[in-house]
Amino acid sequence: MNPKNLTIEKVQEALRKEKYICDRSLATVVYLSISMGKPLLLEGEAGVGKTEVAKVLAEIMETKLIRLQCYEGLDANTALYEWNYPKQMLRIKLEEVGRRDRGAVETEIFSEEYLVKRPLLEAIQGNGATPPVLLIDEIDRADVEFEAFLLEVLSDFQITIPELGTIRAKARPYVFLTSNRTREIHDALKRRCLYHWIDYPTFEKEREILATKFPEIRERLAGQICSFMQQVRQMNFYKRPGVAETLDWASALIMLNRDELDEKTVQETVGCIFKYREDLHHLEEEIAGKRIDLDAEAKASGAQPD
Amino acid sequence: MEISDELILENVNRFAALRGQGTAPNVLAFSRVLKELGIKIGLSQTLDASRALEYVDVGRRADFQAVLRSNLVSNKEELALFERAFDLFWRARPPQESFTETSDIPSLPPEEPQIEQGSGENLQDLLESFSAGESGKDGDAEQIPIPTYSPSESLSKKDFSDLGIEESRAIRRAILMIATKIATQVSRRKKRATKGEEVDPRSTMRKSIKYGGEIIELARRKRRIKKTRVVLLCDVSGSMDCYSRFLIQFMYGLQNELWGVETFVFSTSLSRITHLIRSKEIAGALERISHSVVGWSGGTNIGRSLATFNRDFAPSLVTHRTVVVVISDGWDRGDVSVLEREMQALKRRCYKMVWLNPLLASDNYEPLCKGMQAALPYIDHFLSVHNLNSLVTLGRTLQKMVA
Repeated sequence: MNPKNLTIEKVQEALRKEKYICDRSLATVVYLSISMGKPLLLEGEAGVGKTEVAKVLAEIMETKLIRLQCYEGLDANTALYEWNYPKQMLRIKLEEVGRRDRGAVETEIFSEEYLVKRPLLEAIQGNGATPPVLLIDEIDRADVEFEAFLLEVLSDFQITIPELGTIRAKARPYVFLTSNRTREIHDALKRRCLYHWIDYPTFEKEREILATKFPEIRERLAGQICSFMQQVRQMNFYKRPGVAETLDWASALIMLNRDELDEKTVQETVGCIFKYREDLHHLEEEIAGKRIDLDAEAKASGAQPD
Repeated sequence: MEISDELILENVNRFAALRGQGTAPNVLAFSRVLKELGIKIGLSQTLDASRALEYVDVGRRADFQAVLRSNLVSNKEELALFERAFDLFWRARPPQESFTETSDIPSLPPEEPQIEQGSGENLQDLLESFSAGESGKDGDAEQIPIPTYSPSESLSKKDFSDLGIEESRAIRRAILMIATKIATQVSRRKKRATKGEEVDPRSTMRKSIKYGGEIIELARRKRRIKKTRVVLLCDVSGSMDCYSRFLIQFMYGLQNELWGVETFVFSTSLSRITHLIRSKEIAGALERISHSVVGWSGGTNIGRSLATFNRDFAPSLVTHRTVVVVISDGWDRGDVSVLEREMQALKRRCYKMVWLNPLLASDNYEPLCKGMQAALPYIDHFLSVHNLNSLVTLGRTLQKMVA
């Protein structure tokens, strides 16, 4: 898709076509980020589809997705570039046989052929016709030093390699950053980004997501799942389930040929939603105490089982 | 949220003069209003916001709002305030129904429960009943083996509130253990070092060139030691009286075992006592503190004390590596909104916020008092300090945090 004739509606429609259901405000910021060439920082609880936005967008723009997964200790060598040492050594050894000038060998082994490109450099060089989508995932996991480094890259979109010179982006990549908010991102980095908070979906939206991803799902089951999720997210769990868990669960239930939720089914499949022992225990208590209503949705809308 | 509609309106009117024809001056005025309300906005963001408006149909209010929001707000906590300010500033407010697109924005948190703050005497009763209820129940609390300290069995379950000075040695040893753990944390980042364990291929390669590619010198690297700072803010007001002795022990112990600890006490005002307890002998330290700290065992004003800290000390003491530890029961007689604002400011500056509450240990304790309620959202770790076991838990948490 050409970024020139993009509109908010087109973004939303395209995302929907790729089975990503989003509200208009998210479509607006995605559209803005592409049109303005400004990175987009997506924050939200785990499993609400932050990473998915970038993935789907790469498909829509028919371009490459370059992903940089952040972790503690991530440094410029792993994010930007590194020299291919074994290859360089081999070359030097081979050169020993001939009697070439040492300077010439040095220039040669520090040429692009001996460079290992890491995600950031790759994104800036961008080989395709359309610039790639660069996804910097879970930026909150990287340490602050890396954030400062990223700030530099994101403001100039150029990288200087002492041995090679400066590499400039021909066209700016579409940059998406995600954060789970395990720590606060520095203001300077935030200032360079558009910001959007992705919340848990509403009942209707989650149901739509389910219907899109699993067209075969029974309406009653979908309603029950979503209403269960809405209730559970109000409660005090250590890790509240996101949309990713809803989808996992739905797929499991379909696989098991269940048409509706009952207590037994929930207990059998609860591993899809909760991954901590404390949470499993807590859920058992909530169910035993009748604080979760499995038929809440059916009662509210008066839906008939199909 | 402590900001009232009146305050927002007041600011809207204040910057009314800036408003004019066209969107640009209005956007400028609007971001000034937001700034005044405490949302951090840089000039580049304001410029980007008005530039961004060229890309959308400003006639669609929801889109217009989304554009401004994504450019001007960069924090989840500020979203609600933004929505309110937006509605008041761009007044021609359409009916609520047309706003369904933005329905995913979190609404304001529900009003906090109004809890009557007890008088001094009642407070004392309350504390006593908590302590009494504890001695029986603590048996089934998690048992953490402390290998370096065996005679602590009985002591480890005993409430610190009734601890004698002679038992303080045991506490010191527990603190020593915690402190060493924290001080020797290693970073995942590496630096070059002549005696490092790992070979650094990058610089080995570089060095080998001068020998014509023959590897003669191996460059090495090792992991860095992280220097984590700890700032202790300790409540010494009346309601914390029965814990005071232990708290001084704790502060004294931690500061003397760990590099880079700064210690403060507060009640109605804040005092820095780092220099007072920098000595090898605790009795003398106790003496000095009691002489120079104003308001010991008095009332509490956590918000004001934190404000003093944020203004005078935080800029030089608190960095992204600093763990801030507040020790308080959260009974606050000051303005709760001040407390909330200052907690938020401090949270943004520091690495992790730990709140130690001696009352937390009791089973029937819930952080209901207003001060605690206001502070809770900004706390990373809410732990109890009431006996030796809880200290060990604290040690583990601190260790995980700096790891």
